Amino acid sequence: MDVMKSTVEDGLRILREATEQAAQIRIELTDEYLALIAQVEAMPENQAGADKSWVARLLQWSTEHYAKATRRV
Amino acid sequence: MDLLAPLARALNEQQVRYVVIGVGGANYWSHTAGLVFATQDRDLFLPPDADNLVATWSVCEAAGFELWLLNEPLDRPRDRWLADRIIERRALTRATSPANLQIDLTLVMKGFDFDHVWREHRVFVIDGVEIPTARLLHIIESKHATGRDKDKLFLATHRDALEQLLKKPEEG
Repeated sequence: MDVMKSTVEDGLRILREATEQAAQIRIELTDEYLALIAQVEAMPENQAGADKSWVARLLQWSTEHYAKATRRV
Repeated sequence: MDLLAPLARALNEQQVRYVVIGVGGANYWSHTAGLVFATQDRDLFLPPDADNLVATWSVCEAAGFELWLLNEPLDRPRDRWLADRIIERRALTRATSPANLQIDLTLVMKGFDFDHVWREHRVFVIDGVEIPTARLLHIIESKHATGRDKDKLFLATHRDALEQLLKKPEEG
């Protein structure tokens, strides 16, 4: 199995690029985006009292998964 | 069990007023895993009410959280006088748990006052505990108004995810 090699320099470069990219992003709350948000708010799954325990489980799984990650060189 | 739920239960029992905002709040509006964003933080928006703030601190301490102001432990006694000073400055206090959960207790939500957000909040349920959550629209508008790089990255990703999941294919 191929293993991706990474270095601290690679990681720093990726972070630098992400920061530069973020600074250039222009986000507008367009009518289209607002309509999508309204659609989400109106969903039956998002009415008062909706059970969102699955969201918590998913986040917990994700946190534990990435906490176990190790670097292979 | 969710890390926030036991604290939320205690806050609810003490009738503390708060709403979940930020990425953690936006996550609760997900109807599918594709809209859930990884985060270990939770942002609780509180009203500028000293008694409410003292009660929040007290519940956090009883639940084993440590309280911080900037990078220093929050001063003692954690009473109404201190809460008034914190509210005057609209300062953020932070609660951290041994389980590595970080909860920001904020008195500021850019572009909104607490009463507005509270009036339109929605209650979701996690592990049987009611979690008052700000409207998704308010969370998004506030992130847009704040405009930090991390907010812009979130908005770009969130908008893209919504488009992928909800937009009907073009007729052709």
